[in-house]
Amino acid sequence: MNKIKDIFKKSLTTKDTSTLEESSRRDFFKNTAALSVSAIAASSVLGPVKALADDEAIIGEAEWGVKLGDMVTKNLYGIPSPYEHNNIRRTTDLLSSGDMYASISMCPIHESEGIITPNGLFFCRDHGGTAHVDPNQFRLMIHGKVKKEIVLTLDELKRYPSETRTYFIECPANGSPEWRAPQFNNLQFMKGMMSCASWTGVMLKTILDDIGLEDDAVWMMAEGSDNAGNPRTIPVEKALDDIMVVWGQNGEALRPEQGYPVRLVVPGWEGNLNTKWLKRLEFSDKPWHSKEETSKYTMLQKSGKAIQYFWPNEVNSVITKPCPEKPWTDLKKGDLVEIEGIAWSGHGTIKHVDISFDGGDNWVEANLKGLVLPKAWTRFSYMYRWDGKPILLSSRATDDINNTQPTIDQETSVVGVESVYHRNGLVTWEVNAKGEVNNVHIRKHKA
Amino acid sequence: MYILENIKLKNTLLGLSLATVALVTSGCNNSDVKMSDATNAQTEKRAVDGAVKYEIKDGKYEAYHVNTQKAENFGYGRTPTEREIKAWDIDVTPFGKDAPMYDMKHGEVVLDEDGQPKKAEGSVELGNELYDAQCAMCHGDFGAGGKGYPTLSGGTLASLKNQLFNPADANPGMEPPKRTIGSYWPYASTLFWYIQDAMPFPHPKSLSNSETYALTAYLLYENGIQIDGEELDEEYVLDREKFLKIKMPNEDGFYPVVDTPEDPKQGVRNMTEFLSNPENYGKGTRCMKDCIKEDVSKLVMRITDGGLSDFNPPASTERSMPVVEATGPVHPGQAAYEASCSACHANEAIGAPVVGDKEAWASVMAKGIDGVYHNGINGINAMPPKGGNMDLSDDEVKVIIDYMIEASK
Repeated sequence: MNKIKDIFKKSLTTKDTSTLEESSRRDFFKNTAALSVSAIAASSVLGPVKALADDEAIIGEAEWGVKLGDMVTKNLYGIPSPYEHNNIRRTTDLLSSGDMYASISMCPIHESEGIITPNGLFFCRDHGGTAHVDPNQFRLMIHGKVKKEIVLTLDELKRYPSETRTYFIECPANGSPEWRAPQFNNLQFMKGMMSCASWTGVMLKTILDDIGLEDDAVWMMAEGSDNAGNPRTIPVEKALDDIMVVWGQNGEALRPEQGYPVRLVVPGWEGNLNTKWLKRLEFSDKPWHSKEETSKYTMLQKSGKAIQYFWPNEVNSVITKPCPEKPWTDLKKGDLVEIEGIAWSGHGTIKHVDISFDGGDNWVEANLKGLVLPKAWTRFSYMYRWDGKPILLSSRATDDINNTQPTIDQETSVVGVESVYHRNGLVTWEVNAKGEVNNVHIRKHKA
Repeated sequence: MYILENIKLKNTLLGLSLATVALVTSGCNNSDVKMSDATNAQTEKRAVDGAVKYEIKDGKYEAYHVNTQKAENFGYGRTPTEREIKAWDIDVTPFGKDAPMYDMKHGEVVLDEDGQPKKAEGSVELGNELYDAQCAMCHGDFGAGGKGYPTLSGGTLASLKNQLFNPADANPGMEPPKRTIGSYWPYASTLFWYIQDAMPFPHPKSLSNSETYALTAYLLYENGIQIDGEELDEEYVLDREKFLKIKMPNEDGFYPVVDTPEDPKQGVRNMTEFLSNPENYGKGTRCMKDCIKEDVSKLVMRITDGGLSDFNPPASTERSMPVVEATGPVHPGQAAYEASCSACHANEAIGAPVVGDKEAWASVMAKGIDGVYHNGINGINAMPPKGGNMDLSDDEVKVIIDYMIEASK
């Protein structure tokens, strides 16, 4: 026990932790886990006997309990516990255009709780680096086929009545490396091109109703003030439905990575349309055909023709507990465990999520959990007693226009494997007898 | 094994038999769950993407309460000036709008030495020079790519039918489709607009309209595009008039049709119709029992060779105190390096010595510091003088080089 105590003490010492060996820490956690297991067994069978080892975490004095903590003035903008330093966005060279300016950082959705992504963990896709806009020089120009063209400062924009709504934003390339085969044994990289937040801003309809649209204003182009601009065409019908001009994210100003001071939120639609660092909205009777809606964000089909202007992110789901990063290796045969995950649909509200334990042959319906909102992450939950045998665990979501997530074969038989974007085929985890979780595809292929 | 889920399944089936539900046999079997949602969805109002259109009802928008007090005539903001609109409205569309006749800068026409509006035009030859100096380091010689950035030429229309390694095919294809400007991009307007607005990558909006015409002409030339039946050569000069005559080979390669000038709203309706039908992009079925009519184990495709794991930082879920690395003073050349040089020198694929690569920089230093300064200032291999950052003084370049050497020791 002394060894454990020493390791424990050492791990609490903020200095000199670099010398702490990983293996020792693992041993420590393994030991404490073993203790709690034997404690349960002993109490039910033998009653309270001396055979139990005492847990140093309980009988010892924790360092933080016997001294003063930080003064409240220490972090005037709070930061996470240093122990949580691995809960971060990550990148990979594969998904960068050769550099980390035109690149994407993936949200650690395997650590995500509930339906809100903290601002520091929201995935970030930039086309020419994160711009740092001076809010005093922010201007939003609205022009073209409107009755009254206007320029707004940030203060003027914020005078409009605000609303706060929860919406996910997903890059339609989420999961794109896996059209042909499973590639990542890692949920963060499989599905981390998305996050969900509570957004505060003005409904674009409020502004457009006020300045008036011309009768033939059918299309809108939104453009950012950063070096890439990222202009995209959006139908006016969507602008008058649920698009928001947003300055707040989870109760504070937008982060620079999310377009500070103002971005567009286009609920449920391709992340690329949610223009960051917004500067201009132009209205026309014709679409623009920008580079991001011709060269990119088009889906090449087997016919050699490509689908263009595919706006909504389709119904989708993934199990987050367990996942490759959060396996069941600490479970024993017969343990009861919650299977939990995220479902979402850019086409509306999640209605059902089903779970399969045999690779999609048979399904049961899971429970939805917490708030169920349109175009927002929706949690699902299923209590399961694992018998310790290998399973093929899948989830399948259905939304309120009754679109159901396709199997991989159902999807690729229609769109092939060269679409790049809008992949929403079923995700399957192979849980082996050790409780390890691996990403597999259930699909027709040559053995 | 499935104690809990069996109970759940029974409940589901019980619920189904109580509700008046149509059991549908969609090639699966009659235990498919076909909820009455489908009929509900059909009667509800559709949004532009085919989704349910949510409306404010009784002061609420779905779960959100809404302030429904009447509010109008906000009158916020001011009218933009004509010049302000011209300064920002530089987009170029396939319909001729805004392709510049004269060089424009900050919303005004640029005048030539005689005080006359300077015509916007550029030759293939000038475009070639600009490309070699400012684009080739990323996009490769002649637009051939291969350095992590998009390939700009060399595609074919015929290749667009290729499917690379589609596991469902009896004999998966080995050739990918080659999507480049000439083979894939439907409009040359996109090319001009994108170059003008967002390129060259480290210095966007630095090219004049004439230079953009030149680069556009050069890239069309490299892609073998003809303009009005004419083949482009080095002397070819592109201007607005010729630009409007360009027809790209893959103009008709995209659907649904959104350009409907006779009725602008028809294009939007085409999209609504397309997006409303999941059979266009992969329709799932809510089958509940015996859904896979074959041996599931034969359908399991696993990751080979451990999969991709080139993650920065490496994946970990460990909860431990982080190792704190000592941070020294910031080098005076670091900021300028990051702003002007790292696009190439932080990227292995470019071929430039990567900062932090000790071996690469040891070999660079073999020629002596004066030689390194000389190459940095005058250019070497694919790198143009000062890396294309002609605003930098020689001394500033030297400080940046000092930083790059320091950071690579």
